[in-house]
Amino acid sequence: MTTEFEHYTFKQRLTSMLSIDLRRMFTTRLFYLFVAICLVIPAIILIMTNAMAGSVSVDPNTGAETVAEGFDNVWQMIGSDGSSASAGMSLTSMCNINLLYFGIVIFISLFISEDFKSGYAKNLFTVRSSKTDYVISKTAVGMIAGVSTIIFFLIGTIIGGSIAGVSFDLGTVTVGNIVMCVLAKIFLMGVFVSISTFMCIFAKEKTWLGIIASCAVCMLLFSMIPMISPLKSTILNVVLCLVGGLLFEFGFGALSNLILKKLSIL
Amino acid sequence: MNAIEIKNLSKNFKDKQAVCGLNMTVPLGSIYGFIGENGSGKSTTEKIICGLLIPSGGTIKLFGKDYCDIDVRSKIGVLIESPGCYQNYSVWNNLMLQAENLSIPDAKKEVGRVLKMVRMEGSASNKFKNCSLGMKQRIGIAMALLGKPRLLVLDEPINGLDADGMRIMREILIDITKAKTCSVLISSHILGELEKIATHYGIIRHGKMIEEMTAEELDSHCRTYVSVKSSNLDELKRWLNKKYVDVKQSEDSIRIYDDINPEDVVVYLYQHEILVQEIKTEKIGLEEYYIDLMNRKVTK
Repeated sequence: MTTEFEHYTFKQRLTSMLSIDLRRMFTTRLFYLFVAICLVIPAIILIMTNAMAGSVSVDPNTGAETVAEGFDNVWQMIGSDGSSASAGMSLTSMCNINLLYFGIVIFISLFISEDFKSGYAKNLFTVRSSKTDYVISKTAVGMIAGVSTIIFFLIGTIIGGSIAGVSFDLGTVTVGNIVMCVLAKIFLMGVFVSISTFMCIFAKEKTWLGIIASCAVCMLLFSMIPMISPLKSTILNVVLCLVGGLLFEFGFGALSNLILKKLSIL
Repeated sequence: MNAIEIKNLSKNFKDKQAVCGLNMTVPLGSIYGFIGENGSGKSTTEKIICGLLIPSGGTIKLFGKDYCDIDVRSKIGVLIESPGCYQNYSVWNNLMLQAENLSIPDAKKEVGRVLKMVRMEGSASNKFKNCSLGMKQRIGIAMALLGKPRLLVLDEPINGLDADGMRIMREILIDITKAKTCSVLISSHILGELEKIATHYGIIRHGKMIEEMTAEELDSHCRTYVSVKSSNLDELKRWLNKKYVDVKQSEDSIRIYDDINPEDVVVYLYQHEILVQEIKTEKIGLEEYYIDLMNRKVTK
């Protein structure tokens, strides 16, 4: 006697997993909180730096004067123009859209650990002996969240720039450079999303471990971001970020899959 | 073919062996009562069946197929320890998520159906974190029932349920197994409740199956006895010991396990001026059988 079971294709399983994660993401307050922060942060940075730009502070010991630098134009919020040798470490290359990578790894850590903390992972993995769809779905949702935050950061930058009265002049860059820069940053998100997904799957319900590990890796890679995706990005930067993103997604995706398959879920 | 067939299953946690060489067979359409002390390996076995723990050795077959088979696994309903629900989500949303997880086509209708089964229709909009323990357990059962599973794995599902909840649970399990389309593996310490529904039993100790039997076999193992109550138990016991071989004292009565007629006992006691307050023939239940079995194993 044999018992027939309905066959679920990989596409069906992935679709259902994605719909769960998307439904969760778009109904959780955490996502809207992150989006709101992305909207507000650039405005705050632009207003604050613009207000302080040009102010001189004197070192009481040496008498050396330091002039506070500000943003020359709003586009520097999206990427550093790489005009100086220390572009990777300047204020305009640190306090800009690159901060989002930290935000997104924290979001992913909270999002994934909730599966394990709530016990929902029991329901998920009982009916999913293949873990691939879980890893793909989490990476995809991380990317969607990342793209959303980038979009809202751009909106926040434009609004903040208008309020602060910062110049919208393109200067030496072109619209094409800015588009390429944004695209490069979007694809680069794949690197951070895949690393964070792996760390959080490894940490399971230990949210703190997921956040610390993801942020630590993020810090290590942080100085690379302005160099690989500067404001004057070309198609080469986009391709580089795309290839890097895909490689990390496949590599860390396979590792995450292996962890879920070989180690106990609970 | 059986719903679950486990051979030589073992699971080690570092130096502790939680399950060692477990063999277990859950027939199709049965309600399998999985009994054992705390830490005997029940939950570990159930988690392994559900793919939540990786076994150290042995084989598990579900409906004749490997337990990792994707299609078989999509037809398992599970409630292990506590329901896996997002705290800030409503009951309805939690169930809808699980319906999506199971790729149920008409999810809303299905969620409505299971909520009705566990009598929780009125609480669908409540946040899960605001539900009482009993309500949460009902939600867990509803979640396990989504998509008409072929196998239900329930770990302590009766915990926290009130009398009505237990009755509903009983009715649901009997109902879904009636057509033999669903098999249930249920572990519980509330043996009296388990006895009312189980068709098969498995008793586990120190990670090993020490006895597997059907409800009929349990029935035949369970001896009948005559229970006698009197105001003076010591005197009653003294006289009964003089005539009968297997006489034991329970809390407030004396039990005679010999094959006898209660009327003869009354006559005998009357002759010796012992006033009988109550006399009845009873059968030892699952709980007493289990305790007796455990004691026998300890003595051995």
